[in-house]
Amino acid sequence: MTDLSRNEADVALAGEYVLGLLDPAEAAVAQARIASDPAFAAEIAAWSERMMPVIAANAVPPPAGVWQKIVRGIGPNNGQDNPRSGVRFWQGLSLASTAAALVMGVMLFSQMNAVADPIATPRPLIAALSSDTGTASMTAAYDAATGTLTVTPVSLETGKLYPELWVIPAGGNATSLGMVNAKQPAQHSVPAPLRALMANGATLAITPEPAGGAPGGKATGPVLASGTINAI
Amino acid sequence: MVADTGPSKNAFAEQRAGDDRARLSASLIAVGKGDRAAFEDVYKRTSAKLFGICLRIFSDRQEAEDVLQDAYITIWNRAVTFDPARASPITWLAIVTRNRAIDRLRARGKAVIVPVDEAYDVADQGPSAEMQLIAGADARALHACIGTLDVRDSAFIRSAFLQGATYGDLAAQEALPLGTVKSRIRRALIKLRACMSGDGE
Repeated sequence: MTDLSRNEADVALAGEYVLGLLDPAEAAVAQARIASDPAFAAEIAAWSERMMPVIAANAVPPPAGVWQKIVRGIGPNNGQDNPRSGVRFWQGLSLASTAAALVMGVMLFSQMNAVADPIATPRPLIAALSSDTGTASMTAAYDAATGTLTVTPVSLETGKLYPELWVIPAGGNATSLGMVNAKQPAQHSVPAPLRALMANGATLAITPEPAGGAPGGKATGPVLASGTINAI
Repeated sequence: MVADTGPSKNAFAEQRAGDDRARLSASLIAVGKGDRAAFEDVYKRTSAKLFGICLRIFSDRQEAEDVLQDAYITIWNRAVTFDPARASPITWLAIVTRNRAIDRLRARGKAVIVPVDEAYDVADQGPSAEMQLIAGADARALHACIGTLDVRDSAFIRSAFLQGATYGDLAAQEALPLGTVKSRIRRALIKLRACMSGDGE
């Protein structure tokens, strides 16, 4: 048997991506190529169309209650002609619903705090991190008043490596915020010199790194998940 | 009036399917801009189709309802990433639904490989005429081409897409090294793609 040609390898890779056979790191690499390689993106699209007959099923109307639950699930109505102000920050984040539910939870919690505490405090910052395949990875909520970052993992697989969190200001370089817990929510105190980076519009990203963090403060692994920081 | 002959009827149906697709694309793009009325329109047009997919993946009706709900919330959140130049709207919606369903199956450790004889049943059921029309020539080509593969490989490809089976599941079932099953399935995917492009052996 001969090795696969480059083109064949891409055909197989795109098929594996659509079938969900890649591990998270491989899927992240493939996803990055979709953005930069139109031929590969077309191959992914072709596989998606190609596999449709496998899940084709006869139509069955769902019960009426499902729509009401969906409406509740997407949050409060902002008014018909109101542009999506409260929901706008979802856009482009490739949010999966688990992260959405968590973020909603954080939002409600923040709003309750705001009611309980009438003293004006800076608006909380929040980011939902997802893999490029849309799988929710974690949420991060930042309280600028105390410099506390609360990281809540949803689904994060780094194999034998450990997740390291980075902040990337618009147009800037990635700066490590340290290692995070992949299994349970944890609070981190952001070091004072880095707090200015925790701003609306900056990106948070996770890479898999060796224990103790990326050597020399430079990420070595692929980006497994990322999301933009937004003010609530 | 459309003449009552086979080909003309098909042409009429294809024209109508094209119009439906354009309208659904427009609604989905509006959902990406936060239009709730468009979202309800997308739901009305597609929920029965997507619920059918959920019921195919989850035989439990309650779980199928939960995953449908999950899928539409994901659709609301991610509609802004829909690109009509890249995917048909129904394919995009079906892929989002399938991915949410498989995430759920995997989270519960329910991914399974459909046994080879059941895989034949899956092939025999085939899609409804309506879905065949939506999927177009690809539906016929897929069923023909998937039949040219080794039966274990075609069963695995179906199971991966429909039940979330992984390379690890296949390796365990056939007691083969992971690398062996990976290279076998990659070759099957290349063969399938070549067959469907009409440049296969």
